[in-house]
Amino acid sequence: MSRLATFAALRSLVAARFPDRTRRHGDGVPTGVAVVDDALGSGLHASQLTELVSEVPSAGGQLVLARLLETTRAARQRLALIDAADGFAPEAVPPDTLKHLVWVRCRALADALTVADVLVRDGNYAVVVLDLRGVADRALKKQSATAWHRLHRVVENEAPAVLVLTPCPLVPSVPWRLVLRTPHGLASRRLTQEKLLAQLTVEIARGHATQTVAERAG
Amino acid sequence: MKFCVLWVPDFRLHALRRSDATLAGRAAALIIGEGRKATIAEASPEAKGVTPGLAVTLAMAQCPGIILRPRDPAAEVEAQRILIAAAFSLSPRVEATAAGCCTVDLQGADAVRTEAQMRICIRELVKAGLSTRIGAAATPLLANMAAQCAGPLLIVSDTRNFLSPLPLSFAAPTPAQTEILSGWGIRTLGDLTALSKADIAQRLGTEGVTLWERATGETTRALRHVEPSRTFEAEWEYEPPVESIEPLFFRLRAFAERIAVELRAAQLVAEELTLTLFLEDETDYRRSFRLPEANADLDSWLRVLDSHLETVRTAARVARVRLVAKPIRAPEKQGGLFDTGLRDPAAFWENLARVSAIVGEGRVGTPLLTDTHKPDAFVLVKPTELVPAPADPPIHPPRGLRLRRFRPPWPAQVELAEHRPTAIESPQLRGEICAVVGPWHVSGEWWKPKAWAVETWHVELREGGVYQLAHTGDGWRVEGVLD
Repeated sequence: MSRLATFAALRSLVAARFPDRTRRHGDGVPTGVAVVDDALGSGLHASQLTELVSEVPSAGGQLVLARLLETTRAARQRLALIDAADGFAPEAVPPDTLKHLVWVRCRALADALTVADVLVRDGNYAVVVLDLRGVADRALKKQSATAWHRLHRVVENEAPAVLVLTPCPLVPSVPWRLVLRTPHGLASRRLTQEKLLAQLTVEIARGHATQTVAERAG
Repeated sequence: MKFCVLWVPDFRLHALRRSDATLAGRAAALIIGEGRKATIAEASPEAKGVTPGLAVTLAMAQCPGIILRPRDPAAEVEAQRILIAAAFSLSPRVEATAAGCCTVDLQGADAVRTEAQMRICIRELVKAGLSTRIGAAATPLLANMAAQCAGPLLIVSDTRNFLSPLPLSFAAPTPAQTEILSGWGIRTLGDLTALSKADIAQRLGTEGVTLWERATGETTRALRHVEPSRTFEAEWEYEPPVESIEPLFFRLRAFAERIAVELRAAQLVAEELTLTLFLEDETDYRRSFRLPEANADLDSWLRVLDSHLETVRTAARVARVRLVAKPIRAPEKQGGLFDTGLRDPAAFWENLARVSAIVGEGRVGTPLLTDTHKPDAFVLVKPTELVPAPADPPIHPPRGLRLRRFRPPWPAQVELAEHRPTAIESPQLRGEICAVVGPWHVSGEWWKPKAWAVETWHVELREGGVYQLAHTGDGWRVEGVLD
């Protein structure tokens, strides 16, 4: 085999074995959830905030987070989870999908925003997830818009994609806001993750005109 | 220490001396006012016998040869930028409190590392012509007082002992209060705080209480944070235009000092420098220098600029100069073919330590499940530098929704019918249950004094939402939502 042919074979082997390593820099970070990635174009946008609102309980927000953990794990990217209400349950995901995770268990909303400010600037994380679900409504509403504007400014100068999980629309001037409004029932307990994710309905509340991904496709 | 203050005494004069090569090492003073009313505002140590407030004529008599200059706002802006950049090397939460004064929120910062960084900061600023003092303490006010007493660094650990001997003026009393307190024989903050707050309130009213609180260092306030600079450039207009290399190089040195500090504070380095000379004949001369190795090292930049400027000949005098640094992330280590290690290990560990100090010890890390069936059993371990290759997917991947826990679980009253939950009542959650799965009985550590046993149910409420309930000897609890 000639040297060129060997290189070509090696390239295709690498591309097949490490598909995520071959993606261009500056692309979005795929979440692995088709409806979310389609809605955002190519996954979470680097240097931008994306808000995912779980308006009802059991809407699938944690499922999206679990899939994002798997996807970033497969790409060997580092993910920071800033858990404002300390609600993440490590036992709910396969142990191997935790190895790239830096989990910050906060006690207060103010701490979570301070930590986000620090970790977004770090430069070592592909994705920073700020989970505000479970924080008292009063605390969320009391949070001044200044803190969010500051986070916007920090994020736009840094590389990571930032996903904010919220119980209601919260982040002012967020470039992308997706809303999960359809609750799942107990019947979903036997469904595989793939089937459940395929059933997710995501509404794009900001970034494009308000419409569901299914409507856009159809 | 939660806050620190960087303070440059005689800031306006320092700023002026940074911008004017002729003032270096000479007796100089900054004047305010015009004509006969002009007085000395700030004087350099070389100007012997010249003190602030002195009339200009008297100052010239006291110190023949003294150079007198009015304020230079552009030079002050430049000096303030370098001070703010230095403050950002301590923490990302910085307030530009006043000209020559920055307050930094050190929440979460490692004390030992921060103290070392403060000393580096002072050295850098002194090198850049700003003789800086840093005070660190529990409140912004205390830190400010400490900065005024620092020589050049003071970290206040015992507030009471620090404040006691300070003169009363540190608490900024009004003239009326000063007169009253002086009549009582009160000269220091210690004298004032020896009196009870209630007594002060009774005699001096609410203003007195505010003064007493300032004297105890209790007064605190929210900082107005500023953003770090993201454009690493500097520009100066010469009036009149210059035709020799010395003033040009003096100005570029000051620019380079500031930009290097700003880059280091942002954990960046320069990959390329672009020098533009705007000439008097409205043409310009532009040259980009790609640095052999990306860095934020002032000396290497100056070597590049100096060696180039010596060869430059322009058709007209230089009216304006601009220096721009192109920033990139510091290449801390060589990247391997499939290496997914840390891009900037120093920043990673430093930031984790900072986060740990904010949220508490043991609340940051990578979760590792412990070898037990006990619910919510895990430990947080130190994250690895290299993300390992993923393992094969599990043979039985998890099905259904994923649990998000309520920590601590919500105590609840649960109604039962035929031993199955039918309704739930708790301060956070109430409703009729329309579907139930369970129970799952789990127990363990029966060989230990604290054996545990739990009965778990998954329930769906009629209004929507699937929740996990746990029943133990202590009653029912809502453990979390399946989401």
